[in-house]
Amino acid sequence: MRGKVAVIGVGMIKFGELFEKSLENMIQEAYLNCLKNVDKGIDPKEIKAAWFGQWSGGFIGQGAQSGQSLASMIGNRNIPCTRLENACPTGGDTFRHACLGVASGMYDVVLALGAEKMRDKPSAESLGGAGGGGGAETGNHPAWMIGQGGPAIQAMHATRQMYELGYTMEDFARVAVKNHHNGTFCPYAHYQFEITLERVLNSPVICWPLHLFDCCPQTDGAAAAIVCRADLAKKYTSKPVYVLASNVGVDHNQLWDRNSFIEQLSTVRAAKGAFQMAGIKPSDVDFAELHDCFTNTELMNAEDVGFVRKGEAARKLKDGEFDMHGSLPINPSGGLKAHGHPIAATGLGQIFELVTQLREEADKRQVKLKNGIGLQHNVGGPAFGVSAVNILSRSP
Amino acid sequence: MTQPAPASPVFWRFNPEVFRLIGIKCQDCGHISYPRTKICHECGSQKLEEYQLPKRGTIHTFCVNWAPPPTFEPPIMPVIVDLEGGGRYQGLMTEFGAPEDVKIGAKVEMVLRKLTTDRGLNVYGYKFRLVEE
Repeated sequence: MRGKVAVIGVGMIKFGELFEKSLENMIQEAYLNCLKNVDKGIDPKEIKAAWFGQWSGGFIGQGAQSGQSLASMIGNRNIPCTRLENACPTGGDTFRHACLGVASGMYDVVLALGAEKMRDKPSAESLGGAGGGGGAETGNHPAWMIGQGGPAIQAMHATRQMYELGYTMEDFARVAVKNHHNGTFCPYAHYQFEITLERVLNSPVICWPLHLFDCCPQTDGAAAAIVCRADLAKKYTSKPVYVLASNVGVDHNQLWDRNSFIEQLSTVRAAKGAFQMAGIKPSDVDFAELHDCFTNTELMNAEDVGFVRKGEAARKLKDGEFDMHGSLPINPSGGLKAHGHPIAATGLGQIFELVTQLREEADKRQVKLKNGIGLQHNVGGPAFGVSAVNILSRSP
Repeated sequence: MTQPAPASPVFWRFNPEVFRLIGIKCQDCGHISYPRTKICHECGSQKLEEYQLPKRGTIHTFCVNWAPPPTFEPPIMPVIVDLEGGGRYQGLMTEFGAPEDVKIGAKVEMVLRKLTTDRGLNVYGYKFRLVEE
């Protein structure tokens, strides 16, 4: 992968409760923003294949989407286009497939776009689509009747993090405070307001030990990236960003098959493979967008990716090391917590943030670059058993 | 069948396992999985033997869900239980007084309870309750 693929343009729309926009509106806006972002210009007909990230499809009333949806909506039906669903890492994995399309030598220029419309339905139905209901996601096990959703799964991890690692609800809440702060500097973020530790801890308990403000919102959004052969990148942009690695890791499909609840092996595997592919160490990374669907998850991710040892993340966060101007900024975009989590758009929104930061175009939320390397991460699925990690760099 | 489906196909397909608690134990890696499967989820081995899950164990982790999906009365308490002799079972606690009584490491046992209602019929299965020590 390394040396073969570059990002030449990224585009997204402001995430939020976009009742006034349809799925098609969001897709077209993100796509047009993405074309505009290619600073030396691109003829849309140069895009020779596309991957369309769409997680929920019919579950929450977006209709049954497939490859032709995207191709038709962007007025380019002469190219192969595939819809991709891979749980919460759908966006990160859609990007990976676009990169594989180029790295394989099959295509010179391709598009990855993810879009999700979650707010047209009331929260409970939207969550039901997300496996919060009795849901078929638990398959052939009586546990399908226990009403398990994202918050319950992560809360059970949080309980164990408290027990094994000594983490506290304050430790979790600090993630929300940091990410909301970062979100105030990001014009694309769903939430752009500060919160205090007290406000998090006094918010209603959703799933003990997690409070309302420990949970990311449900969000509408779309985001896109155009990737091309690395040796062609400068034809399209004066600031190409290179793909060092793109990987997916998996673990068990069900919680009861898993061993540890303070570690997600899907992330461990995705990150390990990605670092190997890139030929770099975790300490070479300047900043990261980690999948903070819940606050405790961000702490776990920082450890599982390999940035810090297991049990160290809470202290590093408290010491300010993960702040926007700390030694390893985590989620300068505001993260899922403040930036929002429109499932299939989330990973590509993180890619947008990486590219914007690596081009030093992030304005008030610009992080300091040393090696010019950023990492994107998603994790999700019924037992958080699938994870995507992409590593981007401003040099090949 | 002359009658309309009385419950979901998923429930009926695994009806015997829901009540008899038959899982598998991998003869290569020792992983216990439930319900039965033909390939070990942990190591991929096909050398598996049927394994009777015990009804007792200790709580590995839990949470208190105050915002469960519709049809559940909050709070519900999902638990992951380390069964005696190995293997895990995921379910709901029942008959707990205060949520604070439920702790990691607490001893629990399975009891047959109503789990949900499907198309007007009651669906039964195991829940966990605390065991007095």
